[in-house]
Amino acid sequence: MAKIERAQKLFLKSLKEKFAGEDIAAGKTVYKRLGLAQSPRKREFIKEGQAVALARGISAYDPVRCHLGGIPLGQRQLTSYEVSTTGVFVEGDDLHFVNNAAMQQMWDDIRRTVIVSMDLAHQTLQKRLGKEVTPETINEFLHVLNHAMPGAAVVQEHMVETHPALTDDCYVKVFTGDDEMADSIEPQFLINVNKLFPAKQAEQLKAAVGKSLWQAIHIPTTVSRICDGGTSSRWSAMQLGMSFIAAYHMCAGEAAVADLAFAAKHAGLIEMANLLPARRARGPNEPGGLKFGAFSDMIQTDRKYPHDPAKAGLEVVAAGTMLFDQIWLGSYMSGGVGFTQYATAAYTDNILDEFTYYGMDLIKSKYKVDWKNPSPKDKIKATQDIVNEISTEVALNAMENYEMFPTALEDHFGGSQRASVIAACTGLTTAIATGNSNAGLNGWYLAMLLHKEGWSRLGFFGYDLQDQCGSANSLAIRPDEGCIGELRGANYPNYAMNVGHQGEYAAICGAAHFSRGDAWSLDPRIKICFADPSLVFDFSEPRKEFARGAIREFMPAGERSLIIPAR
Amino acid sequence: MAYKPQFGPGTTAVAENRRKFMNPGYKLQKIRDVTDEDVVLLMGHRAPGSAYPTAHPPLAEAGEPKCPIRKIVVPLDGAKAGDRVRYIQFTDSMWFAPCHPYLRSYLESWRYRGVDPGTLSGRQIVECRERDLEKVAKELVETELLDAARTGIRGATVHGHSLRLDENGMMFDMLQRRIFDVKSKTVKYVKNQIGEPLDKSIDLGKPMDDKWLKAHTTIYNMNGGTAFRDDKEYVEWVQRVHSLRTKYGFMPME
Repeated sequence: MAKIERAQKLFLKSLKEKFAGEDIAAGKTVYKRLGLAQSPRKREFIKEGQAVALARGISAYDPVRCHLGGIPLGQRQLTSYEVSTTGVFVEGDDLHFVNNAAMQQMWDDIRRTVIVSMDLAHQTLQKRLGKEVTPETINEFLHVLNHAMPGAAVVQEHMVETHPALTDDCYVKVFTGDDEMADSIEPQFLINVNKLFPAKQAEQLKAAVGKSLWQAIHIPTTVSRICDGGTSSRWSAMQLGMSFIAAYHMCAGEAAVADLAFAAKHAGLIEMANLLPARRARGPNEPGGLKFGAFSDMIQTDRKYPHDPAKAGLEVVAAGTMLFDQIWLGSYMSGGVGFTQYATAAYTDNILDEFTYYGMDLIKSKYKVDWKNPSPKDKIKATQDIVNEISTEVALNAMENYEMFPTALEDHFGGSQRASVIAACTGLTTAIATGNSNAGLNGWYLAMLLHKEGWSRLGFFGYDLQDQCGSANSLAIRPDEGCIGELRGANYPNYAMNVGHQGEYAAICGAAHFSRGDAWSLDPRIKICFADPSLVFDFSEPRKEFARGAIREFMPAGERSLIIPAR
Repeated sequence: MAYKPQFGPGTTAVAENRRKFMNPGYKLQKIRDVTDEDVVLLMGHRAPGSAYPTAHPPLAEAGEPKCPIRKIVVPLDGAKAGDRVRYIQFTDSMWFAPCHPYLRSYLESWRYRGVDPGTLSGRQIVECRERDLEKVAKELVETELLDAARTGIRGATVHGHSLRLDENGMMFDMLQRRIFDVKSKTVKYVKNQIGEPLDKSIDLGKPMDDKWLKAHTTIYNMNGGTAFRDDKEYVEWVQRVHSLRTKYGFMPME
């Protein structure tokens, strides 16, 4: 296959900034071993660590003494990172989720969200209790609910309540596929599908949702942090029940309330993530139960940039690696700091972007896929030969770029980083070319095998498990053996414990749909819910948000400064 | 017909080197002498000359149960004596080091009994009963599998396999376990594999030149070496493996 030359590599600018004053294509350098002093953030850490130790009388951050018995970090260059496509250079430390408020808020906004049907409750009110439900009553109910949901009383006397300024991120909006019904909802309470989505996507979404009315509920960030994801449906159901009682003048103890509670807690509830098995020790709305299709629906880049499925996929990669690698596997399941750099390789320095857009050039020139105008019409039939052909070229190109630019190889210094990036560009390209998520996953696994054979190395031990048997499950859909990509998730058997994969898998699933012009990947309700501009985190621009977090410009929710002494 | 191992596909020198290294019928070229004592020092598990610490009593005294498998599988000397299982670990530079992690595991599996190789991207560990490990390690260190500059003996803090080389052509080592002696133009280990200072330096000789490295390397790298895409047979073999695995998973009855 003829190789496509890209005149301007997207990562050159980043590498030149990172390795300032050096030839980025040179294979040698002088290791000056300047230590921690190279990094402003490490200098800050040392200063703060000393202050912490002094204040509490217990030793704290002390890298000069504690790292390798006196050999501190920074024996090589401690480089900065550009959060891809943002132009913002940050310290690696700023991309650890502990140090990045935007990352925390992205996960907070998912964990504190549930979607609840209003239809079941309305049927109970109308059919069982004979009450009238009109646009006026619905709007009044939403007023009451937005008072109650953060933790305010609506029925009883002498109640304690939560401070509105501590829970200002908590609210409820509704959405529907029925334009007439939408028109009757007060704009403050409506997620307006027509305004938020491109016309074609809006039509698809409205047709799928139909006349149903759904509530997008976001409980307070501070509550879901103190409790857990499973709290979201419980907290919301309690406030829903009380609000129905108040708004529709019900008896607080009548049996019909049980129907409303059942609808809110079970029958009409859409959680963001499934309950996990006991061995994972997590409830619903925790990252391990997220399906890849659902996650790709949460990320909204395809709504904002409908003509760039590659960018949409890359934003899912960034958000997904942050959530699944840094937070889920890196902290919930493992703990520590190492997982951050598995993830950041996929969304820094424009390297994955370069490799992916190479794939776009390839499918346009060779297969006439007009990827900038997403449509199901020009997708290539996902035969094994074609998947192999596209995947091989994209994977080899990525490997060759690492070979030609030793600083790129040094930037992605770990095999797991490179394995994820090489397989991600391959999977994304194959998914976008075919419009088929499983074909994308299949391309991912061929990339892994090529990588392993070409360089006689791959990632850490875990890659032996997942990526060398991945070919065999990538097209299987039988229970316990496989599944369509959209329905796989972080707890899919082979995927449950391996960093550097899950965010990319979610992106591959999404990319298959972005390239077809589909308005959603798995669930239109989740797509609409996260389009809401009132959310604290902007799900259409995860990388920009992470960059804002890194440079400390992102204002999160759930802050406690109101109730603690001033510092 | 007796099975004749092929050791892998490929038409390039890289593929041929891989086959050679795996093939136990091929005698690895010895390119340096390292004494038994120095091998022990480099690994740092015991003091040279000291007794082998044991993990269990000698098998002869252990009162093993009657078991046909135990009769078939002859224990290593170290297992017989009850030695601990210890390790040697290597870091191989992607800039044309002779050996690389998966190949190390493959060749160790072909060439040595009783070894437990572990493969990662930046390092490869092989574990074995201690006295047997020392024999394995000696061959791994003395032969063409190791270049003094591009191969590192590193138990921890292995960072460097993908980094640019330093001004002397040495692979980066955060701990500077080995140094390039400008006078002798040789590479000397001043710390053991875990980074503990040695009482004396151990000279592994001169780094091999680029010509030798590119003739002996087992990594595809288009930047001065062989591009993987140029080994069509190898790439097609990978595609075939992938296709067959895919098909089996999709429709195993075929």
